[in-house]
Amino acid sequence: MNLSSSYVGLIGILGLLGVGFYGLLTTRNLIRIVIALQILVKATLLGLIVAGNTSNQINLVQSLAVTVIVADTVVAVIGIALAVQIRRRVGTLDVKELSTLRG
Amino acid sequence: MITWLVCITIVLPWLGALAVWIVGDQHPRVQHTFAMIFAVSTGLISLLLPAYVSEEIVLRLPAGGIFGEFTLVADGLGVFLAMVAAVVGSLAVIFSVDYMRGEAQLGRYYALVLLFIGAMAGLVLSGSLLLMFLFWEITAFCSYALISFHNDDPKAVAGGIKALIITSLGGIGLLAGAMIARANFDSYQINTFLEQAPKLPSDILALIAFGFLIAAAAKSAQIPFHTWLPDAMEAPTPVTALIHAATMVNAGVYLLARFYPAFEQVPGWTTAVIIVGLLSALLAAVMAAVSDDLKRALAYSTISQLGYMVYAIGTGAIFASQFHLLSHSLFKALLFLSAGAVIHSVGTRDMKQMGGLGKDMPFVRIVFVIGGLALVGLPIANGFFSKELVLEKGLAHGPLWGYVAMVICAGITALYTLRMVGMVFYGDRRKKERFHDAPSAMRVSLSVLSIGILSSWLLAGPFVDLMIRSLPFHHLEGIGTGELVMEIITAPTTWLALGIVALGFFVWSLRSQMKPLVARMEPLATFARQGLGFDWLNLQIVNLTKRSASALRTTQTGQLSWNLFGVVAGLVLVLAILTTGI
Amino acid sequence: MDIPIFAWVIAIPIITSALVYLAGHLGKGPRGGRISQGVAFVALLITWVPFVLAANEVRLSGSIELVVGTVSLYCDGLSILFAAVVLGLGTLVVLYSGPYLAGENGQEKYYAMLVAMIGVMIGLGCANDLFDLWIWFEAMAICSYLLVAFYRERPASLEAGLKYLVQSATGSVLVLIAIGFVVSQSGTLNLQELRATIQPSFTVLVVGALFVIGFGVKTALVPLHTWLPDAHSQAPSGISAMLSGVVIEAGLVAMLRALSALATPIHSWSILLLLFGALNMLVGNLMALRQNQVKRLLAYSSLTHVGYMLIGIGISLYVGEGSAAQGGLFHLINHGLMKGLAFLAAGVLLYTLHIQLDDHGPLIIEDLAGAARRYPVVALTLSLAVLGLGGLPPLAGFMSKWQICVAGFETKEVLIWALIVFAALNSVLSLAYYAPLVNVVYRKQPSRVVQQGGPVPISMSIPLVILALAIIVIGVWPSVMSWLTSPAGSALLAAFS
Repeated sequence: MNLSSSYVGLIGILGLLGVGFYGLLTTRNLIRIVIALQILVKATLLGLIVAGNTSNQINLVQSLAVTVIVADTVVAVIGIALAVQIRRRVGTLDVKELSTLRG
Repeated sequence: MITWLVCITIVLPWLGALAVWIVGDQHPRVQHTFAMIFAVSTGLISLLLPAYVSEEIVLRLPAGGIFGEFTLVADGLGVFLAMVAAVVGSLAVIFSVDYMRGEAQLGRYYALVLLFIGAMAGLVLSGSLLLMFLFWEITAFCSYALISFHNDDPKAVAGGIKALIITSLGGIGLLAGAMIARANFDSYQINTFLEQAPKLPSDILALIAFGFLIAAAAKSAQIPFHTWLPDAMEAPTPVTALIHAATMVNAGVYLLARFYPAFEQVPGWTTAVIIVGLLSALLAAVMAAVSDDLKRALAYSTISQLGYMVYAIGTGAIFASQFHLLSHSLFKALLFLSAGAVIHSVGTRDMKQMGGLGKDMPFVRIVFVIGGLALVGLPIANGFFSKELVLEKGLAHGPLWGYVAMVICAGITALYTLRMVGMVFYGDRRKKERFHDAPSAMRVSLSVLSIGILSSWLLAGPFVDLMIRSLPFHHLEGIGTGELVMEIITAPTTWLALGIVALGFFVWSLRSQMKPLVARMEPLATFARQGLGFDWLNLQIVNLTKRSASALRTTQTGQLSWNLFGVVAGLVLVLAILTTGI
Repeated sequence: MDIPIFAWVIAIPIITSALVYLAGHLGKGPRGGRISQGVAFVALLITWVPFVLAANEVRLSGSIELVVGTVSLYCDGLSILFAAVVLGLGTLVVLYSGPYLAGENGQEKYYAMLVAMIGVMIGLGCANDLFDLWIWFEAMAICSYLLVAFYRERPASLEAGLKYLVQSATGSVLVLIAIGFVVSQSGTLNLQELRATIQPSFTVLVVGALFVIGFGVKTALVPLHTWLPDAHSQAPSGISAMLSGVVIEAGLVAMLRALSALATPIHSWSILLLLFGALNMLVGNLMALRQNQVKRLLAYSSLTHVGYMLIGIGISLYVGEGSAAQGGLFHLINHGLMKGLAFLAAGVLLYTLHIQLDDHGPLIIEDLAGAARRYPVVALTLSLAVLGLGGLPPLAGFMSKWQICVAGFETKEVLIWALIVFAALNSVLSLAYYAPLVNVVYRKQPSRVVQQGGPVPISMSIPLVILALAIIVIGVWPSVMSWLTSPAGSALLAAFS
């Protein structure tokens, strides 16, 4: 890889981060929120790879990335499981309606 | 020996507290007995303390590291206040046996009273600022817990919390002072502080001095922090007599007296102390004169009398202030306890519903009048000697305007005392039924205090002698009791003050002729009844805090996207702070 | 290979958590739960043995290192202090949870997760590599998500769990981004090597900001705190105690460890900590002031107490003196004990007054009315806990606050003095919501729920009494904890210099 590819990577990271944060802040659907979180994590994974690439530590960052994917999957699974339970018990996936705890 | 005595005075009541608590509320008679045994034996043991007074540290407990050394010192100032706490404490407990008979949760009551007695003794016997602050806060806690002893009454709860908050707020002054001292001397020892204080930079010393003044004003209910004391009257009356008349409220005066040598030279400090004392004395006397609630009137009178002591310290008359403190402890405890006997019997605190009680309660009337004589400052009673001494020293060493104001205050004192005695014991009966006089346990306490009031001034000479022997930094003048009495009797200020007092009596006797004038003063009286605006100010601050708390709660919307916005906003904020360069 | 003793403190709980889970399946229904609890309790008791040995070793030698493959562990005074709090509170919570959860489904998962979380948190305190730190942190978070959302049938509990998960996961993404930056700047992720090699630059500032915010979500810095009141109030009370007593502090420890690798602009970090400390104290107090749910009130007060810790540590970093950090860490211990006790005691009342009667509503302040006559021990311990939190002597909270304040005044800097006075004012303000709680408990007229309330099981009272005694002992004899705080304070400061 050369310099231009890391530029592409950088643009990709920024784009994904933007999409992720935009999704987190605006989406009302629980499943989409979990997806937005996933997009954020993917952005950082890409970031890790690009960073490792520019500093010649690709082996290190690959091992990091694999670990992150594992940990992140667990979080996503729990998130989805909670969403399913919420759909069952509350009957909605809309976070705006999930605001009984306030004050 | 002295080490043991000091420790017993502090720890014995605490053991008593534990014992009463363990006994449990199922056995009220045992609780009464235990409380009495522990309190009275503490009182008796404390009477041995004066024999061993010295400036030496009697006990060192290394607390380790930043907590320094906990030390106890039994010098004149401390021992005498510890005695007052233990003796008045035991009398209050004896009084409680009748007063609290049949009440629920006696265990909590006695445990807190006994905890207080030990803590108060600890406060005045502490040689280390940290230990003193520790006891200072424990007494504040006991005061809070006992004011709101009747937790079901919202007024009692509010009064207790108000007392806790205001005294702790003032306590910050003491805390800051103690810590600045520690930062400079690497020691919490009070005597080190008094010795080294002149070496401090003047602005730092001024900071400590005014910090301590705030702490003292809050604890001793001086203006503008006095508003908690009238509200503290929701406490059971023996507690009022003990904590809010005889002991804890004196802690502020004690603090000022203790540190006077260090702060004397701070520019403006003595004047500030005089002004605080003077304003408290005058304004509280006015408020006492219009209050219809017997206990609140006495509470305002306490603020006023504490004002005398603070004023005395401002003029440099340390002994006079402590002498008046002793007198006041005894006579105000007596007044409160006899007021308690009245309230216990009549079932109300409103003086308008009393009147003519003297026939039913001759004993209480006698002791109340004795207390009243001392409060007004008429001869034979201890209040006469101590108040005249304060005034005489005030004229000699303080500003003239201060003296004039305090003499006027003496007149108002006479006026409100007469009004109280008149409204409660004389005049027409408002209620048909007959009321019982004080029961036997109450009589014991009241009699002991009455005898104390009529004789405690004889101790002036030995008392000043104790203080001279053990307070190396205070530079007190020795004087015998006889000399002192002669000096007071022959001083022109005494006769002037007595004249003003007579004027006060005269005004009271003319009250029926002055009805139109009184009527015209009504708006002013209403204003005074509402606490001269200080209570309003208090309320505003409380409301402001509550409103902002409620407003802030709306930020917890429960919306997930809002929560996440908080995270992003936090990140932007931190980045902004970091890039602007700090 | 020679495995140092401290590794066992981490390993035993993590390994036995699987055992705890499996043991739960030996018995059917509630019996399985009891077996799980027993195994978990024994495992934690056993863990105390290597802990004591490790603490002694660290006391003698300062620090111990262990590298297994790519995992690098470093046990110093701070690790030991944190491990002590985690293990102490954790053991009591396991003991306490028995009756509280009786009748619930999935107890074996609860105990397994709890024990695993304890091990992971101790590991977090020993992490010596940025990425390891993140892994420990994430593992702890995963355990805590499951524990917060333990009541799977209750909408409120699910809502709290989900909000906690999303907010916390966002925070850990930020940490990962920061790690990406570090990778691009430096060839190593080892904390000590990083400190030696990293050069001050704009990137370092950005990385620091990401660490502060990323770990700050878990530490409940204002305005990242919004998950906390929900999670703390909806979790089972034992977990509330763990969350407030150690989990948010784990965020703090992780943040400090991460920042210590970027030690160069130490001044900036200390000012950030001080600012957040002041903000946390004020907001926490005001939010708690008008609260009428007991557990939510206690949750908000955690914000305040994190504020004190931040101030203590911030002052220390600011002036390069250890005593304020010792105070802050001392407060970490005391807060763990006091807030743990407060949540557990409130939990006992929640259990006897609501849960036992199959009522899952919140415990409101009015419910506590008159509790003292029926539940004297619970009432007394709850009062001691909240008064200690309010900073009344002679209870533990007073001593640690005092230590922070003294150290602040010793700096002889006017701004720090002002900050300390502000902290003291906040302490007084906090009495305005702690004291009424005590008043309500000691009313004569019992509330309707207290009249109907059930008995308190002994295994719930024991942890309360132990914690209450600890609070008093530390309050009377503060230096009893200095064997933990003073090495931890110096280790923390050494990490930053």
